[in-house]
Amino acid sequence: MRIERRLQQPWWLAVVVPVASILVAFALSAVVLLLTGHPPIHSFHRLFDAAFIAHGALSDTIVSATPLAFTGLAAAVAFRMNLFNIGGEGQLYGGAITGATVALLMAGAPSPLVIAGMIVAGAFGGALLAAIPAVLRAFFSTNEIITSLMLNYVVGLVLEYLIFDSHSYLRETRGFEASVFPQGKTLPAEATWSSWRVHSLALPLGFLLAIGVGVVVWVLYARTRFGFEVQVIADSPRAGRYAGMRTRRKILAVMCLSGAIAGIGGASQDGDFRHQLDPRGLRQANYGYTGIVVAALARYNPLAVVPVAVLLGGLQNAGFALQGVDFPNGLVGVMQGLILFCVLGGELFVRYRVRFERGTAPAQTPAPEPAP
Amino acid sequence: MGGEVQASPPDPLTMPPAVALRGITKRFPAVVANDRVDFEAAAGEVHALLGENGAGKTTLSNILTGLYRPDEGEILLDGRPVEFHSPRDAITAGIAMVHQHFRLVSPFTVAENVVLGDQRDIGRSFVVRPRAIEARVEELSGRYGLAVDPRSHIWQLSVGEQQRVEVLKALYQEARILILDEPTAVLTPQEADALFETVRAMAADGRTVIFISHKLHEVKAVADRVTVLRRGRSLATVSASEATPRSLAALMVGREVEIGRRHQDRPAVGKAVLELAGVWADGDRGTPAVRDVSLQVRSGEIVAVAGVAGNGQRELAETIVGMRATTSGTVEIGGRRLRSGDPRSAISAGVAYVPEDRLGTGVAPGMSVASNVVLKTYRRSPVSQGPFLRLARIRDLAARAIDKYDVRTSGSQVPAWQLSGGNVQKVVLAREFSGEPVVLIAASPTRGLDVSSIETVHAYLREAAATGVAVLLLSEDLDEILALADRIAVMYEGAVAGEREAESATVEELGLLMAGGHRD
Amino acid sequence: MNNSLAVVVLASGVLYGTPLLYAALGELLAERSGVLNLGVEGMMLVGAVMGFWAVQRLPGPSPLVLAAGIGVAALAGAAMAAIHAFLVVTLRANQIVSGLALTIFAGAAGLSSYLGNDLKLTGLPAKHQFQEVFPKSFQDLPVIGPMVFGQSVLVYASWVCVVLVALYLTRTRTGLNVRAVGESPAAADAMGINVAGYRYVHTLVGGAFAGVGGAAFSLSITPQWADGLTGGAGWIAIALVIFAFWRPALCLLGAYFFGAFTALPFALQGHGVTVAPELFQTLPYVATIAALVLVSSRAARLRFGAPAALGLPYVREER
Repeated sequence: MRIERRLQQPWWLAVVVPVASILVAFALSAVVLLLTGHPPIHSFHRLFDAAFIAHGALSDTIVSATPLAFTGLAAAVAFRMNLFNIGGEGQLYGGAITGATVALLMAGAPSPLVIAGMIVAGAFGGALLAAIPAVLRAFFSTNEIITSLMLNYVVGLVLEYLIFDSHSYLRETRGFEASVFPQGKTLPAEATWSSWRVHSLALPLGFLLAIGVGVVVWVLYARTRFGFEVQVIADSPRAGRYAGMRTRRKILAVMCLSGAIAGIGGASQDGDFRHQLDPRGLRQANYGYTGIVVAALARYNPLAVVPVAVLLGGLQNAGFALQGVDFPNGLVGVMQGLILFCVLGGELFVRYRVRFERGTAPAQTPAPEPAP
Repeated sequence: MGGEVQASPPDPLTMPPAVALRGITKRFPAVVANDRVDFEAAAGEVHALLGENGAGKTTLSNILTGLYRPDEGEILLDGRPVEFHSPRDAITAGIAMVHQHFRLVSPFTVAENVVLGDQRDIGRSFVVRPRAIEARVEELSGRYGLAVDPRSHIWQLSVGEQQRVEVLKALYQEARILILDEPTAVLTPQEADALFETVRAMAADGRTVIFISHKLHEVKAVADRVTVLRRGRSLATVSASEATPRSLAALMVGREVEIGRRHQDRPAVGKAVLELAGVWADGDRGTPAVRDVSLQVRSGEIVAVAGVAGNGQRELAETIVGMRATTSGTVEIGGRRLRSGDPRSAISAGVAYVPEDRLGTGVAPGMSVASNVVLKTYRRSPVSQGPFLRLARIRDLAARAIDKYDVRTSGSQVPAWQLSGGNVQKVVLAREFSGEPVVLIAASPTRGLDVSSIETVHAYLREAAATGVAVLLLSEDLDEILALADRIAVMYEGAVAGEREAESATVEELGLLMAGGHRD
Repeated sequence: MNNSLAVVVLASGVLYGTPLLYAALGELLAERSGVLNLGVEGMMLVGAVMGFWAVQRLPGPSPLVLAAGIGVAALAGAAMAAIHAFLVVTLRANQIVSGLALTIFAGAAGLSSYLGNDLKLTGLPAKHQFQEVFPKSFQDLPVIGPMVFGQSVLVYASWVCVVLVALYLTRTRTGLNVRAVGESPAAADAMGINVAGYRYVHTLVGGAFAGVGGAAFSLSITPQWADGLTGGAGWIAIALVIFAFWRPALCLLGAYFFGAFTALPFALQGHGVTVAPELFQTLPYVATIAALVLVSSRAARLRFGAPAALGLPYVREER
């Protein structure tokens, strides 16, 4: 087997390979299902139905897709510069906390103001959390993968503490139910984010916001000086330094941007869907880690993140809807993992050409003119 | 346990050559590196493989050592065809190579490196017995004049000593066929002479030594026969004693080459532009790599820093351009002090830098030629407008640079890694000169380049000096230095060991300074 | 005295540190060959669930069943690692993303959860568990009683593993070769060492160790199966390898150090200290970050750095 670096990448390869990866992943999932005694075609049919076809399914899928779009964008933004921000999960929690806090504080103010406040607060919360691994990486050369990941656990525990174990501002203390089962304060009506209906499809503000953020990030990376620097530093940090680029500042900026986007996703969870700070729900959802799968499948292209998020959101949504004895929860993670494996494996074919040959040819064929 | 092969001289009429390559072809995506190459060498012979950079010498030797598989052709050892599926096969067949870029494990000791992968006697035991290995290494060191302490770690050794370890590795394997790839690139002239002695001793033992080089006088000094490669093809095999430098050069390049010395016409030299005063800087290991260096380069002057690699030249260049912080001392451009460790300060002061590491530092290899052309100018107009890049403008500038500097590429959007070394260097030069610099720092600018690219780079350096730029050239190639420089400073162990006017400098004297002897 | 907080924490530290130690030793071996495997959490969970399954289903005397359980756990972990090895060694995928993919695939809400649900393993205690080996009298010795003599076979086996791995790396040919592969695959390749082969083997062995570490949870510490049982131990193990400068002996110390942090909240509760458990549970994670920062400081990195080729694919024929 011979592997050669490609000189030119035909444009269609960048689309065909991810699509092929998904198909292979589905095939492998079918194998897993077969081996564990589940009918694959039937299961996929149910999956697809619950994700897109059934009444209200598409709206539910958009609901699942919105946080994935945010965490996917967050991951894409950072991974493009070889900053492996795994902390999207925790940064989303952080944004949910700050978003809910601001919503409660601003009760009574006009709704657009409250919503704007939540967005800003969410971005700020996420950015602040991302700044920690950023600073440690930029100034102490500490591996950001582990630090950002550890913070996921820390913030997750803080989140639970706020609602389950303390009497914080965020916790609901009145009412009989609240004394039995701890939950967060319901956010005021002003804090409910708008939503638009197109035929029977509900498009929440968060979803549209994610699309907007995707476009902005694309412009930032493809058309500005900032994006140019990100590309150079990702390709060769030494060349970036040589060119006078401020690498440390870039690390901070990119990580904080990434965290901010994930944080807005957290605020969207409060404002669009849950209307309270919901630790259990947020922790079970795994938005941050799934966001990484979204980003990888989108090949870190901001414009592709939202469509991919809808796809994986469908998968996630179907997983929730079908959960039960004959449809184990873990299947979603398995399929996501398989998709990611296949995307990774497929990358080889994008960058390299693989040929199979047998040994060396003894005959001499006329050789082409060597390049000047 | 033998190292000696046969004592009687080989009879070329009846014995097949120790090693023969027939019709070897090797293709890479962008180039045909070897094109139906024929080559043979006899036991007890020192056979030189001569060719300019890019002619295919290293590729050929990598095929012989099992690192690459040829696309066509065959390899014969003692007349029998062999096929190598991996380096292990070649090692078992008795072939060993001393690479140009050492293949040593830096944290390991000499002994550990020598015995790595060995599968015979001492090597065979599951448990490593350091004492036995060290004894064997010392024995070989003594026999071939390769002094090195088997217990020292590689990172503690000088480049010359590291090369000795590479040779010891080959001898330890009891290689019958040794390939030395550009071994003198990292040696002082005196060390090179010692190496030639070792080579002759190995040949006298009945081994076959293939000596790869692009330096004519070396080839004549050490080889019995010379095979010339050009652009992937084997052209001719001649006797070293009968060939002249001129005839060899003509074969190597395909046309008449100037082997002459420096051009004498140089406009008047102006005031000092680059001034280093008492500069100290730390290396990657945290220990001082640049010690108390004071140097001046005047406008229109070419000052060369000579020295064997690893004596602080790279760190010195990085310090001047701000990629490395000074721990003490100052760097001034035209009287203005540069901020330590800040490349932008140097760039805005008009310092151009052609780095030693062309592909990793000088260009961002995965980015297009166009992007690399504007790598330093993207911050200002006309390349950008506010925060936005003007892509059309960038393509335009790139097209003009490609045209002006004759960069061979199929387009400005091609990623830089696809260009040949010479063309990458042209892109770097195009970019650096576009800023109208006052100082040019060029570190090993012609390393690994073919002859015409070398000539082009030298021409640009001379032209820069002629227009008043202060040029600081750091190089390991004494020929290049003597051809270009006005003044020569020799670096040894981070400090300036001596300065000489180029006109009166001799290779011997410079060599002594490079080796640390005879300091000023 | 043996009931004092300090001793309880120390003894529990050894117990809780054991899965960390196994996983860290495995990751150390993989990283020494140049392969970064971030899928440790996933491999541990799959090892935990499969080992548990074996113990629940196999008939026979306790020692044999437990041994089989460990064996199954090791195989399961190695099987997971094989996916990662194939992707990064043969297909040259990005090692970081591949490891993450493995964690998503195999970890909580992934394959381990799938298997746990499908095989109906949740909620029940293990039929056989690892018990303490030494008689009570030994365990009553002050301090070292509970710490040293109050542990199970798994713990003692882990000590043996530390010694074996250390000897392997420093005293054997193969150990020398694998270190060369991790530092300079080009040098190793030129000397005829099969770089890909070494990387495959050590990554798989690393997975086996991780699997055993996971089984330490489901068969000794908890001992039950629940989704996400390991609670991030796999990630701490990865940090542990860095913290230990890639040396087995330091892995042992570090594992027990972090194990003590994990044990602290439970020990405190046992002593009637009522502090919100969540905040204490953040301690191991915060300690990991702090330790990493210290270790990453320039001086430390310069002298005891990572294997130089860690995380980079080795390509022989690239021009």
